[in-house]
Amino acid sequence: MPNGTVSVIKIRDILLVTVPSDPDDITVSELQEQVLYAMERHSAKGLILDISTVETVDSFFARTISETVKMVALMGGLSVLSGMRACVAVTTTQLGLTFEQTLTALDVDRAMDMLSVAMDDKGDSA
Amino acid sequence: MNTLCQGEMPIDTENDIVMARKSVREAAVTLGFGVTDVTRIVTAASELTRNIYVYAGSGIMRWHSINDSNVGLELVFEDKGPGIIDVKLAMEPGYSTGKGLGMGLPGTKRLMDEMDVLSEIGKGTTIRIRKWLRQ
Repeated sequence: MPNGTVSVIKIRDILLVTVPSDPDDITVSELQEQVLYAMERHSAKGLILDISTVETVDSFFARTISETVKMVALMGGLSVLSGMRACVAVTTTQLGLTFEQTLTALDVDRAMDMLSVAMDDKGDSA
Repeated sequence: MNTLCQGEMPIDTENDIVMARKSVREAAVTLGFGVTDVTRIVTAASELTRNIYVYAGSGIMRWHSINDSNVGLELVFEDKGPGIIDVKLAMEPGYSTGKGLGMGLPGTKRLMDEMDVLSEIGKGTTIRIRKWLRQ
């Protein structure tokens, strides 16, 4: 599989985006746009960013992901970052990246659960 | 054990950042670093090669294993860019002149065991980082 392939799959109201293992900066930037336009096109309510194959998260990658989460929120969507590997969690924290205000889950399964609960709650209160 | 491992590559394009990560990962794995240390070293290399690309336009990355009383990996990032005006300030978290987060240099220092920054205005910057292999 080529290094730069971002996969975007729609499951019900949720977009599942799989980030390639070692994306270059262009792929990361394009991912942001790709995700936002896919949210619009599919009228999605939630987004799962799966980074379970990603081995290196540097400050550029982290900033783009944090920004994407904020942009999706502006569009009324809820994002969950899923699958961060242990070595990446250690490294990003020591690097000083916080991923504040970003929901996280151990894997895609749990991210789906989180989003369904959150979206149900939203539906009830509306 | 006498693993000899060294190399160098130019940093001219954005794609060279990816290539640098690959080369450094290979070197660190070959030397026997564990997965977390490999990730730390690769992430540090990613930060510093991107600094070269963004601030200096081009430069070079060199790496070699250290086989003295202590075994480790040293990486050197050299450019002939504008230089860092205040190295001490640039090592403070949150300080940035560019479009970054200001995490690059202080963050890289935390990931590595040793880090030296030599910079001269108008001449360029040389950054040397080291990680020791704990047996």
